[in-house]
Amino acid sequence: MANEENPLTLLVASEPKKGRAPKAPELPIPERKNWLIHLHYIRKDYETCKDIIKEQLQETRGMCEYAIYVQALILRLEGQIQQSLELFQSCAILNPANPDNLKQVARSLFLLGKHKAAIEVYHEAGKLNDEDWEVHHNLGVCYSVIKDYKNVCVVSQAEEQLNAALQLNKQDRTFLTLGKVHLLSRDTDKAVDVYKAAVEFSPENTELLTTLGLLYLQLGKYQKAFEHLGNALTFDPSNYKAILAAGSMMQTHGDFDVAMNKYRVAACVVPESPPLWNNIGMCFFSKKKYVAAISCLKRAHYLSPFDWKVLYNLGLVHLTMQQYASAFHFLSAATNLQPRLGELYMLLAVALTNLEDLDNARRSYEQAVALDHSNPLVNLNFAILLYNHGDKKGALQQYQEIERKVNMLKDSNTEFDSELMDMAQKMATALQVGESLVWTKPAKDTKFKQGSAGVPIKTLGSSQQPLGTNQALEQAMSSAAGYNRSITPRVSLSQPKRSSVPLAESSGLENPPAVPGDASGTPRPEESDTPDTLPPLAAKPKVKSKSRQELN
Amino acid sequence: VFLWPSGDSNGATSCYINGKWLDAHYDPVANLYTFSSCIVLADLHGDGENKLVVGDLGTGSSNMKLKVYRGTGLMSENTLLDLPTGLVSFLMDQHEPRTPAIAVASGPYIYVYKNLRPYFKFTLPPLEVNALEQDVWNQAREDMIDPLSLKEMLDSIRDKADVPLSVRSLRFLMLDPQDMEAFVNLYKEQPIRRQTVITCISTLKKNMADEDAVSCLVIGTESKDVYILDPEAFTVLTKMSLPSAPTQMDVTGQFDVEFRITVACRNGNIYVLRRESPKPKYCIELSSHPVGLVRIGKNVVVGCAQETLQGFTQKGKKLWTVCLPAPVTTMSVMDLPTRGFQAVLVGLANSEVHLYRDKNLISTIKTPDIVTSICFGRYGREDGTLIMTTKGGGLIVKILKRTAVFDDRDSAPGPPLAQSIRLNVPKKTKLYVDQTMRERENSVAMHRAFQMDLSRLRLAAARAYVKALESSLTPMSSSLSEPLRMNAVVQGLGPSFKLTLNIQNTAVCRPVMNLAISFLYDESLYSMKTAFFKVTIPLLVPGLNYPIDTFVECLSDKGISDIIKVFVLREGKSAPLLTAHINMPVSEGLALN
Repeated sequence: MANEENPLTLLVASEPKKGRAPKAPELPIPERKNWLIHLHYIRKDYETCKDIIKEQLQETRGMCEYAIYVQALILRLEGQIQQSLELFQSCAILNPANPDNLKQVARSLFLLGKHKAAIEVYHEAGKLNDEDWEVHHNLGVCYSVIKDYKNVCVVSQAEEQLNAALQLNKQDRTFLTLGKVHLLSRDTDKAVDVYKAAVEFSPENTELLTTLGLLYLQLGKYQKAFEHLGNALTFDPSNYKAILAAGSMMQTHGDFDVAMNKYRVAACVVPESPPLWNNIGMCFFSKKKYVAAISCLKRAHYLSPFDWKVLYNLGLVHLTMQQYASAFHFLSAATNLQPRLGELYMLLAVALTNLEDLDNARRSYEQAVALDHSNPLVNLNFAILLYNHGDKKGALQQYQEIERKVNMLKDSNTEFDSELMDMAQKMATALQVGESLVWTKPAKDTKFKQGSAGVPIKTLGSSQQPLGTNQALEQAMSSAAGYNRSITPRVSLSQPKRSSVPLAESSGLENPPAVPGDASGTPRPEESDTPDTLPPLAAKPKVKSKSRQELN
Repeated sequence: VFLWPSGDSNGATSCYINGKWLDAHYDPVANLYTFSSCIVLADLHGDGENKLVVGDLGTGSSNMKLKVYRGTGLMSENTLLDLPTGLVSFLMDQHEPRTPAIAVASGPYIYVYKNLRPYFKFTLPPLEVNALEQDVWNQAREDMIDPLSLKEMLDSIRDKADVPLSVRSLRFLMLDPQDMEAFVNLYKEQPIRRQTVITCISTLKKNMADEDAVSCLVIGTESKDVYILDPEAFTVLTKMSLPSAPTQMDVTGQFDVEFRITVACRNGNIYVLRRESPKPKYCIELSSHPVGLVRIGKNVVVGCAQETLQGFTQKGKKLWTVCLPAPVTTMSVMDLPTRGFQAVLVGLANSEVHLYRDKNLISTIKTPDIVTSICFGRYGREDGTLIMTTKGGGLIVKILKRTAVFDDRDSAPGPPLAQSIRLNVPKKTKLYVDQTMRERENSVAMHRAFQMDLSRLRLAAARAYVKALESSLTPMSSSLSEPLRMNAVVQGLGPSFKLTLNIQNTAVCRPVMNLAISFLYDESLYSMKTAFFKVTIPLLVPGLNYPIDTFVECLSDKGISDIIKVFVLREGKSAPLLTAHINMPVSEGLALN
């Protein structure tokens, strides 16, 4: 071995002697370990990398540009952004012609929140190399985070830069940012186009697929939404967002078992997600496992105490369980958080009716009627209350309102729940406005439906009660065993509404501002307690303040 | 026949038995610090038996070695002068016997070994020197300028020159003025050189595709160039430039016919170079740094730092992406021409090696440590041998069983495992049911009781609030003309306490004047020098905090304490602006008479 070594050392050692004056030692090339630094850096072996950098900087007395550059990158990864900025700046001094240095200076500035400064530096870097998509992309990001969406100039700048980046090189994240910019400037069509192009370019990116799916969901294109969400789940079966959105759609269509299967996966990935537990709770509710539903919803409520949707659902489940006092608390809390939803006041009124607080129930109905514009159910419930308490005139007024809303909805081909129609018809008879054309036809249809088994709405037993009887009250008083039987059909009726709330949740994940429209647009609350009729009770004024303020 | 020793390493490796691989050798203390680019299997002696040649980086700064393994043992060791960047074996001539030479790239040199003996040293052609810089140094040599003006001139050259300065000038610019003279004298006689270093090395068949055809060396340099060297004369046949420094290369084709060099670069892009084009033909821009680059047939497979494995066509179109469970450490191709099998081996930071055919994971090997380099090929006389070195310096050798079959099943999994895990929903308890029943039966009463209590609570709260307002007990004064804030601190163990009142005027600009402070306390328990005084500062400037000290003496030694009330008063008004109740601590010392 030793023999073999010698010739080489000789050979190497003799080389410099020939060429130059003997005394001067050869200066080491500062870049000689760059490859090694890079190799360790990309393997994320930062400790070794730092050691090598330290050695190299000592050897070159801080002249090695790349070593400083990587040192700064590592510092930034470790969260020391200010220090990294300083190092990048010294790199830029060492080699002002390298656009990478400027790009990193800008990046650090961006991370420090100095967006305007970052934009300036990016423009500098762009001057050195205009064909760099990264510069354009990051400029786009910078413009988009300057929170000034009303300023058309900034938005168009962002779009311009991102489009320029896409022309140079298509990258998923550029698509995502561009889509987000469009969404923030409320330009949904453009956003859909961008995401479509993105999905075409990289069909397996689950984030893009999910985002596009959620967007379609918001636009009400359920078929397309489901398609994209399904694709996302094929490539990543545990994609939390996609599961939640797809699950809520399944819930809407009554596939509770499939939805539950998906939720189980999500529960493993994100065990502390409030919307997830809300949706699971409503799945249980639909399967009539009320106690499980309550415990899931309470978990959701614990995780997100200020989410009115969870409170709404809790209120609904408790109403179904005839726990009116609890229902009142949840609904009252929900109205405090979301004071603009008519259906919420209606539920509150139902709870109050059952708690024999008629004054407040009436007030709550009034509020509900004032806020609601499209749901005939609100008026129907109010009419029933008024009728039951002898206010025929008021009931008639509400009935006319129902007709108006129904006529309005008819044009948009909304299907009405048969129980709602039944009930309204009875109301019509009782009010002697009778056989209104509005009702006859759909009512017949539903009767046929009832006749042919297999329609999700099985029986309408409870709605067959004549108005003004004491039956409902008896029912309420009856024991739990009896309760379950008699109440079942009503519960099944309340399903469609409930699952629409979780649906809004899932799309709300992406775009908070879109929620209110969604929530009030899609739900068709078939209040379970619609048919409940109460015997006229003596008014008992107890609490003066308005019911929804009572949890203040 | 080459025989694998058995028994000695079984104990260490038996727990990693994988159905498809035989554990041939595992030495956890082989002390190898190396990368995939520095490992090669070659029939060094022309005896039909492949040896393992490893360029060992030693400690990273010293003790670099060229190691040759035969079977499980180290056969020879040559000292290297600098860190080996890459190592290839290649046939440099047509002479018999056809034994390959080993080329070790290190710094700006390539050391060529034949029969494990040093044979030739190639030095990279020097880079162009800045003409102005040359001029300046010429003047210095003739002592026409002093070191300080030399520095000035070099400085100005550095700032605007297209050609960077040489190491010598850069080093000179960093010197202290007193060292400059000596430095200039030492170096001025020598010619200025700008040298770059090799970052990666590979081989390219010269003009025949045969297994044992003569190959050219292809080297990538820090100066963003790619050189192709003639195997016999070691002259530069072609020079091509890249936009960034290359980190690794894959070369295919023949130099005289057509070739393709796929280069991963430090800027995170991959470029494809072809014959007759000095600039890259195609470019793949990745979103993160490429860690491994492998070519399978006509496709390029890249392992990215963002824990993904991506497939591209030769022209840079993205084919597929797979997410990996951990960061990539190294990659290599697994090529079994006898079986027509090609796949990609990916070393991961979670101590696993994954085998991918296209985007499908077809096998996983668990390793005792993180693998840092992988090499698959013929070792000894065994065709399917997998050589790996680990982060801790270990050496692992595995042999592919001849019976091993890799199913090309689609890795698209069925339902995820988590789907069958039960949800964590608590059981309903009897207590819960009982409470539910109770509520059902008494909901009206419960509701009314609650509303009643709520009203009472509100009433009580309102009363307390009014009382506090009336006696100015709030920490901020409610009067608009004297918006004051006060807090009190008690210091001391007793019997003497120091009472500090911090008073602040919270008005925007109006000062407060003529304030007085008075104390009310049980005179049998406490004594104060002055129970009433005017605020020492006649005027409270807005925003400033005024601490006012006073001393309290506790008269009792019975270990009891009481409240001292503080009133901030305005002259001429009997109602206090602010009131504070100070809970005095128990005196822990005895009063001295």
